[in-house]
Amino acid sequence: MSSLELDLEINGRRIRRTVPAHMRLLDFLRDELNLTGAKEGCGAGECGTCSIFIDGVLMKSCLVPTARVQGKKIETVEGLARRGELSPLQKAFCRTGASQCGYCIPGMVMAATAALRRNPHAGMEEIKESLSGNICRCTGYQKIFEAVALARDVMNGMLPATALDAEVLGDTFVGASVRRLDAPSKVTGALKYAADMTMLGMLHMQVLRSPYPHARIVALDTAEAEAMPGVEAVVTHRDVPGVDGFGVFVHDQPVMARDKVRYVGEAVAAVAAENLDIAKAALARIKVRYEKLPAVFDAFEAMRRGAPILHDTARDNVVMHIPIRRGDVEHGFAESDVILEETYRTQAIEHAYLEPEAGLGYVDQDGVVTIVSPSQNVTHHRHALSRILALPINKVRMIMSPVGGGFGGKEDMIYQGMLALAALKTRRPVRYVFTREESIVATAKRHPFVVSYKMGVKRDGRICATSMYMVADGGAYGLSTEGVMRKAAILAAGPYNIAHVRVDAIGVYTNNTPSGAFRSFGALQSEFATESHLDMIAERLGIDPIELRRINGMRDGAITHTRQQLDSVSLMTVLDAVAKAAGWEAGAPTVRGETRSDLGAAGNRPPCTLGARLKTRETRDSWEVA
Amino acid sequence: MLTCDEYRMPETLDDALALMERHKDRYRVIAGATDLLPATRAGRLGDIHAPMIIDLSRIAALRSVAVNAERVRIGACTEMARFLDAPLLARHLPVMLHCAVWFGDDQLREAATIGGNLVNASPAADAAPPLIAMNAVVTLESRDGGTRRRRDLPLEEFVTGPGTTRLAQGELLTAIECDSMAGYGAAFEKVGHRRSLVISTVCVAALVRVDHWPGRFVDIRLAIGAIAPVPSRLRECEEFLSGKPISSATIGAAARLVSARVQSRTRRAYRAEVVVNFIERALTDAAVNAGVAFDDATRMKEVSHV
Amino acid sequence: MGDKRRGRGFAAGWYGIARTATVDRAGAWAELDDGGTAKVVTGVTEIGEGILTVLAQVAADELGVRPEDVMLGDNDTSRTPEAAHAGASRQTYMIGNAVALACREARGRLVAEVADHWGVDPASIVTRAGAVWARNSNLRMTMDEAVRLCKGRGVVPVGSGTFASQHTGLDPETGGGRPWQAYVFGAQIAEVEVDTGTGEVQVLGVWAAHDVGRAVNPRGVEAQIEGGVVMALGQALMEDYRLKDGYTTTPGFAKYVLPTSLDVPRITSVIVEDPDPLSPLGVKGVGEPGMVPTVPAIMNAIYDAIGVRITSLPATPEAVLEALRGTRDRQPGNAAR
Repeated sequence: MSSLELDLEINGRRIRRTVPAHMRLLDFLRDELNLTGAKEGCGAGECGTCSIFIDGVLMKSCLVPTARVQGKKIETVEGLARRGELSPLQKAFCRTGASQCGYCIPGMVMAATAALRRNPHAGMEEIKESLSGNICRCTGYQKIFEAVALARDVMNGMLPATALDAEVLGDTFVGASVRRLDAPSKVTGALKYAADMTMLGMLHMQVLRSPYPHARIVALDTAEAEAMPGVEAVVTHRDVPGVDGFGVFVHDQPVMARDKVRYVGEAVAAVAAENLDIAKAALARIKVRYEKLPAVFDAFEAMRRGAPILHDTARDNVVMHIPIRRGDVEHGFAESDVILEETYRTQAIEHAYLEPEAGLGYVDQDGVVTIVSPSQNVTHHRHALSRILALPINKVRMIMSPVGGGFGGKEDMIYQGMLALAALKTRRPVRYVFTREESIVATAKRHPFVVSYKMGVKRDGRICATSMYMVADGGAYGLSTEGVMRKAAILAAGPYNIAHVRVDAIGVYTNNTPSGAFRSFGALQSEFATESHLDMIAERLGIDPIELRRINGMRDGAITHTRQQLDSVSLMTVLDAVAKAAGWEAGAPTVRGETRSDLGAAGNRPPCTLGARLKTRETRDSWEVA
Repeated sequence: MLTCDEYRMPETLDDALALMERHKDRYRVIAGATDLLPATRAGRLGDIHAPMIIDLSRIAALRSVAVNAERVRIGACTEMARFLDAPLLARHLPVMLHCAVWFGDDQLREAATIGGNLVNASPAADAAPPLIAMNAVVTLESRDGGTRRRRDLPLEEFVTGPGTTRLAQGELLTAIECDSMAGYGAAFEKVGHRRSLVISTVCVAALVRVDHWPGRFVDIRLAIGAIAPVPSRLRECEEFLSGKPISSATIGAAARLVSARVQSRTRRAYRAEVVVNFIERALTDAAVNAGVAFDDATRMKEVSHV
Repeated sequence: MGDKRRGRGFAAGWYGIARTATVDRAGAWAELDDGGTAKVVTGVTEIGEGILTVLAQVAADELGVRPEDVMLGDNDTSRTPEAAHAGASRQTYMIGNAVALACREARGRLVAEVADHWGVDPASIVTRAGAVWARNSNLRMTMDEAVRLCKGRGVVPVGSGTFASQHTGLDPETGGGRPWQAYVFGAQIAEVEVDTGTGEVQVLGVWAAHDVGRAVNPRGVEAQIEGGVVMALGQALMEDYRLKDGYTTTPGFAKYVLPTSLDVPRITSVIVEDPDPLSPLGVKGVGEPGMVPTVPAIMNAIYDAIGVRITSLPATPEAVLEALRGTRDRQPGNAAR
């Protein structure tokens, strides 16, 4: 393999190194120079977490062969605040609260820097286009836009430099927009996420994953891989000393597949080796013989008699069925003037946190198995790991590394078990960093729902009865399906007074990627159905949709669908507040778009037409900071 | 991952072609690398090992642009960003300006090359329809026994299918030559699932030259991408419009000629419908950008001024 | 050629705070430390929402220091008390209250010593932003001095707190039960522009009113709503994890598309504060509820614009145009604005 003697300038310092010629610039920065501000969010130029400047041009360093930067000047996020003083843009990001998990932020700060270097007077549309190669999953971009506009105006002298300072606070703090304590570490790239951390003597882990959606493992032979020089250990289910199962609600997923695989991408074996290349090569030497089994990919089919069974513990493939019963819906429908039925479908979606899963495992001097990872739920993980390793709880330690986005996707212990087993087997620190592709294929998704809806109402708008039959694809393992069904069911019928309610939420095993916890946890799916349905009811009855909620909405003292009395219900307040804020023109939802008078209010952005920089240069626009 | 035994960065085209001749079948050429590096990731095509990588980024000649009265010659390694910031290109290839704003994002445009976009031959390649519309010819060069060989092929013939071209072993696409379209009104329409970093579901490039008095189409160039294995020129449309008076009605009639062209099996009905809408829009926008004022009551679309 | 049509849609929603249908609990330790600083140790899980800043604000007010004086111990199961997970929109509610209670105990220890030293009623003592004084007197010292005084008398001003939210399981037949004690409500309006030539939907504005209980950090609350709205927009319009016979066809961010800066609306948040009566701080939560009304608000807005009901997500350009084809007999208007 040819190597390359590199001589270049990075953040004003001359650097000389010899590296493999095909090395990516991102790896050179991170692994050779420990400049970990640039992150690998996708490795394919599709997210922008690795943006840096090469000779003043913003580039995605995951797509740049290091050989190309010979003799060039590189600027990374670490170079922006070289003398300890944050750049105006970095200060503005702190000021507006533009960072949340922070993983996209170094790249985003670089993209914003590029935008204002190219055009110090860029208008908001041009700024947005300049940022459009950098994905942020947390912020919704609003505070980022605000930060760039603020920095622009300060740099142009249109606002004083003090506009970048933290808000002036009084002597009490709850209720004040105190500047995020972690903002400086995020805008400078100083914060170390798990994939940025190294330990002396650290091994690298890679995981062999199932190529089949459903198959019996007939033979699993790791001997050849284990014999490879540089391979320290191969771990499989055979290394699990305790009770092998994880999942927040149902502990039915083994650390690595035991007798069979149930979805494509399920972990089968893991290698810990001296470097990543050896670990990858060793995966190819693990011999697994599979016997393919019939698979099922549809939740309704999975519930049919004779469908392939995934788990012996659930012969009907039902993970959990949550019923809610109140009154008598048939009676309620009989009383109704109008009955409306509809079916709603929601899709699986990926959490897509910009930080792919990563972690370090080691056994400390006192024999405590320690895992450092961006876990959303270390308390649960320590219990799970203690059971899996058959160790007392004080011999298991979970340390949360900074989480580069979670949204529910980092609640399940999908890889920490493998790290622990490898650390125990090798007695060395082991690090595992997912690729984006691995993260997408192996980790849980939002449950897809099919909701069969029937609602009966009186002509005056009062809801008489609601019936919802909801079937959710839970995928191959239980994870949080039980909890998702519960929350979906409880909230499904909405914050409305309904005498007769029948809700069923059924989570089902299939050979699809497992579904798990995802921000709003079933409520998004079930309430989407209810709120769409109410719009149709409003149209049918000729009632303004907000008015329809006022007619039915819960108030103080209401009894919920689970027969709980609520003392304080703020629904009417939020209805009024949103109508006022948007300047809502009341009326039934009868396709009024063409005639409404409330369109184009100040809270809108202009439609995106692209090519802003080619048009008349804007200097001031609606995004100015007051 | 893309790995190699040897990574070479020739400084001249001669050196590059010599390496290619000497290391037949053992090399991979990279230009912007924006397609190859993502493709060689685990979970996609997977690892690729090339005994030799020949990196074209140091060859200045592959970035040169030459213009004469009729034709524009663009080096194959010209980055997409240049169509936005080089005034010469903007003047002679107005449609590329509209195309480039839709291409990837700022950062990818700085790496991705025009030649790379053509050689990879994705049915959704954004640069192909506008170039085809401009009668683009690609120059393919090679070295054989120390002798430089060159052949020119119309771009329409060069791309043969998804990912396949007439590029022969040992050949390099070195330049693209197309008509100068100075004075034409241009438009590029694209739809995908979002507005940045997005793969086209349909894209259309249009160029029109008009006779303002009495308001006739003089020359029309129209091409479409992503709806078939290869991008294509819409000659029936062009011929239909040539010499016809400029009006929404004629544009609409022209657009309806082509819905049958959609070959892509996925999302066929959708594409067929969008194609018609896009052709109408692209022609209208291009005409507006050529200075035509529409007072047609049926024309609602906001006009983009470039 | 198609045109651009606008419309507005409305949707409401509700949500429960903290773990569902089971008791939820969290613990924290606090210490007033040398130099008038403070240490708060709790198994909190900052996942980007800003909970560390929230807890620093709570601790600052409860102890009488400034947020920047507070050192927060990171989440480590061997070094911090259990506070459980980042999820269920629970951290401000559960851990915020646990930290408040721990701080109250630590402060009580300090105040007892200071009151004894001054010979005043402990109830008359105020601690605020680094200062300690007795009401209706000129007795005053800094927090630094107060901590020194306290330690000089042999007392380290520490405290611990545990907070529980009492929920009961659901009846397996009827679902009856008390799944949460704190509920929040929200409502949103979305304005969209639909391109009838391509089926593209651009969401131009979202107005979001949410009850969050007492808002500890209003800018942070807005940020949660904004992030939730945009995540829901992704689900509404473009994101789709696809499988074919168990194999994904969306293995990377080229095929699994997420909203970029060009796809997001302007978002106006209205924070409604209906304090929770059952907890010390009156806070509730906002992490998840902010995204609940967004999807139906967008779908209802699409209907308002073009008369098409999208009941299967996402409303991709293809889905919108297909649905529109189904309603082609409707009289086309001229509504571009």
